[in-house]
Amino acid sequence: MKEVAVPDIGDFKDVEVIEVLVKPGDTIAAEQSLITVETDKATMEIPAPDAGVVKELRIKVGDKVSQGSPILLLEEAGAAASPPKLSAALAAAPAAPKPAPAPAASSAPAAGTEPMTVKVPDIGDFKDIEVIEVLVKRGDTVVKEQSLITLESDKATMEIPSPAAGVVQEIRIKTGDKVSEGAAILVLKMGAGEAAAPVAAAAPAPAAAGTVVVAAPLPPVPMEPREATLAKPHASPSVRKFARELGVDLGRVKGSGPKGRILHGDVQIYVKGALAAVPAAAAAPKGGALPFNLPAWPDVDFAKFGPVEVKPFSRLQKLSGPNLHRNWVSIPHVTQFDEADITDLEAFRKSNTAETEKQGFKLTMLAFMIKACVTALRQHPNFNASLERGGESLVVKKYYNIGVAVDTPEGLVVPVVRDADRKGVFEVARELGEISKLARDKKLKPGDMQGGTFSISSLGGIGGTAFTPIINAPEVAILGVSKSALRPVWDGKAFVPRLMLPLSLSYDHRVIDGAAAARFTAYLASVLGDIRRTLL
Amino acid sequence: MAELDCDVVVLGSGPGGYSAAFRAADLGLRTVLVERYPVLGGVCLNVGCIPSKALLHTAAVTDAARALADHGIRFGEPKVDLDKLRAFKDKVVGKLTGGLASMAKMRKVTVVQGLGAFTGPNQLAVEGKEKTAVRFAKAIIAAGSQAAKLPFLPEDPRIVDSTGALELKTLPKNMLVIGGGIIGLEMGTVYSTLGTRLDVVEMMDGLMLGADRDLVAVWQKFNAGRFDKVMLKSKTTKAEATKEGIRVSIEGQEPKVYGMVLVSVGRAPNGKKIGAEKAGVMVNERGFIPVDTQMRTNVPHIYAIGDIAGNPMLAHKAVHEGHVAAEAAAGQKSHFDARVVPSVAYTDPEIAWVGAAEDEAKKSGLKVGVAKFPWTASGRAIANARDEGFTKLIFDAESHRLLGGGIVGTGAGDLISELALAVEMGADATDIGKTIHPHPTLGESVGMAAELFEGVCTDMPPQKKKA
Repeated sequence: MKEVAVPDIGDFKDVEVIEVLVKPGDTIAAEQSLITVETDKATMEIPAPDAGVVKELRIKVGDKVSQGSPILLLEEAGAAASPPKLSAALAAAPAAPKPAPAPAASSAPAAGTEPMTVKVPDIGDFKDIEVIEVLVKRGDTVVKEQSLITLESDKATMEIPSPAAGVVQEIRIKTGDKVSEGAAILVLKMGAGEAAAPVAAAAPAPAAAGTVVVAAPLPPVPMEPREATLAKPHASPSVRKFARELGVDLGRVKGSGPKGRILHGDVQIYVKGALAAVPAAAAAPKGGALPFNLPAWPDVDFAKFGPVEVKPFSRLQKLSGPNLHRNWVSIPHVTQFDEADITDLEAFRKSNTAETEKQGFKLTMLAFMIKACVTALRQHPNFNASLERGGESLVVKKYYNIGVAVDTPEGLVVPVVRDADRKGVFEVARELGEISKLARDKKLKPGDMQGGTFSISSLGGIGGTAFTPIINAPEVAILGVSKSALRPVWDGKAFVPRLMLPLSLSYDHRVIDGAAAARFTAYLASVLGDIRRTLL
Repeated sequence: MAELDCDVVVLGSGPGGYSAAFRAADLGLRTVLVERYPVLGGVCLNVGCIPSKALLHTAAVTDAARALADHGIRFGEPKVDLDKLRAFKDKVVGKLTGGLASMAKMRKVTVVQGLGAFTGPNQLAVEGKEKTAVRFAKAIIAAGSQAAKLPFLPEDPRIVDSTGALELKTLPKNMLVIGGGIIGLEMGTVYSTLGTRLDVVEMMDGLMLGADRDLVAVWQKFNAGRFDKVMLKSKTTKAEATKEGIRVSIEGQEPKVYGMVLVSVGRAPNGKKIGAEKAGVMVNERGFIPVDTQMRTNVPHIYAIGDIAGNPMLAHKAVHEGHVAAEAAAGQKSHFDARVVPSVAYTDPEIAWVGAAEDEAKKSGLKVGVAKFPWTASGRAIANARDEGFTKLIFDAESHRLLGGGIVGTGAGDLISELALAVEMGADATDIGKTIHPHPTLGESVGMAAELFEGVCTDMPPQKKKA
């Protein structure tokens, strides 16, 4: 038996588990994905280190994990009975040796008889959240993960689960209380579950083989319907059935019927509201409601007009879509267009490509762009900044981490070139090559995508004359680069052919005014026109 | 060996099992129903709920006929023809199980007779007259429970469980009921009405645990005449078969000889007898199979329902679970969402309860309001000469919503459904009180109890004003 823990996942701590891909009893192969974790930037799947049979899950969706957090208990392949296969059916081979009958009753290591005080866990940045429901009472036997209380903030309701099984000795909280992390909820006498006691008594000595078998916790058994009447929402069986079909948690639905009864229509209204609220909620800045009252999305049966194929979004697309939408809706974007004369720069770049190719990387225009941007950002520090929460001050960063939008088959990712001000063009170019490859191979770690101060989206390799990039919040500006082209430029005496690079700078108008943006792009163009300015 | 392929196999044809199978078939799934006995219906139809009710009804009418002496109508002492009574009971059972078999046919459910056990996650072997291998995509385990045994009792035809008692082979002079739960007391009632004297021995400190004590007290007072001895907190230590009868030793009592001993010490789930481990299905140490609200076991395509899936072991709970499992197996988003499961003891008087129990609620500090309407104030109960009962409603003290209730009296089992419906619908005292109940009925007592809670009942002496 072996415990599988979260491996090194970079600088990340407390990343959320969004999916558990295996369950107890599953036979898994080495490198098979076990869980998916998600940071605000990306998702990662954590692979199994070995083949075997999952004995016990130590994690669930919604948990926050860091390096070293236990994921599950694995019985390595060959160590014991493998689960039966379909083909093994009627032959009824002599029963494979069963794992020792579960000895330890409770998986909670601290299952002593000492009562424990259950407190409000880390619930994010919330404080003073109202308790809207207390779901257990004194004397209740609770199982691990059973919901104890419901909290409601202005954004959401959440249920606080029990950290262990036991019997509720005392309730320290009541409906209407405002609580924060650490507030006492109740006192739990542990390890006294009805089922636990007899097992512990009957537990045989651990198997002589020396391996300690830890009992897999039983999956949740439906709660005894008796007693639970108080805690449940006021809705008739038919409405409860309807809500189940739509996957609606009735605890969140407001009833409009007599005495607050939840009616069929209330569930429908809730669903409509929930569908409409997703983008609105994402866009709503703290404290300020955005009462978008938009007409319903047109409901068209596309198949009526011709054959269609429904392609589900990749996880990355599902993630980035709402973020882009939030940024687009909540930041007042203005885009400033300009052109840079890169005739000399391009010649300089070409004269050096042979050398870098010998060293194994490509010297791209983007590498120069990054250096040029750093120079411009130094001159215009407000572009290398973020709005503080609440929008009352600006956080100006003294480091220059440039995000680069990379198009991958899965969707858009923005890895970051760190401390670009302290790196030479070659080093930047080499790093760009590496992170682009990582991005396409889906091997970027969340850390590779964090801490950016300014972003560049280059479509120069594809085409176009200008576009309006969306700012990568909480940054305040992003530079879009389109395809350079030879243009006739009046040099005072004659038209001469110059290689012109179109620049599109989207900026947050709350932070940057139009004149500053025009100065920034003009300065950037001048740096690109004479790259020696980066030395100044 | 015969082989069968199906979408869903249901193991066990009790009320939960056949309901699951029929529902699955109605949803278009190719369904196989495995039953170890030649008749469908399981314990409930064959050796449980139904035959016991056939006998209990007979007993109740017999007792009622006797009681008519007080009304000036006198019959002679009843003559008991045990063979004929048994035949009546068997006819009742036959009618129902026969009906089941034809309904299975109409639904094209394939019934396979024999003892079924899993041989793999998608395969089950049935050992019947011939061997059958059933390959399935989904399975619903409805293998029920069986009467728990006491290991120290000898093998003897005079020592029976509920099944044996229902066979009605003899009418002993006296009988010891070991275990004072519902089943033992129901069977005791039948034998007692037919002439047998009863003793009861129970390890815990009360009969029919689970029901509020005030409900049981009414039954106990009414039935005191049936019992020679009610031994609580007592343990049976020894039993030996002698020619005169079964000589039973009970702690703190002189050994006594009984013509029959009925063992009714609970039921044990059959989880460990179905090869669950071959399918990877988790069975707990007591033999129950843990499930989620969709009745799904730890193996996602295998469901478990009824007794084997947990307490309370009641047919009506199993039926609802069977429907949920069949619907879930068909891909529907069905969940077992019932708030309450009513319980009924079909003794005379009947005791029925649902939802929150008063004793329990008070112990756990729940704030409840209790309204108890005595049947001495019910015109109908008085007219029936059966006014010993009462109707009790338990409300949430704040919202006045009904949380549960209990009824003791004739027909209590038929009255309790109204309370169950009220709990499910979230009805409060006013809702129940303002619902017009027909007069004069026993059901009226429910409305009156609600009025009592509201302080607006006029069939009782004036209440003190609520503070």
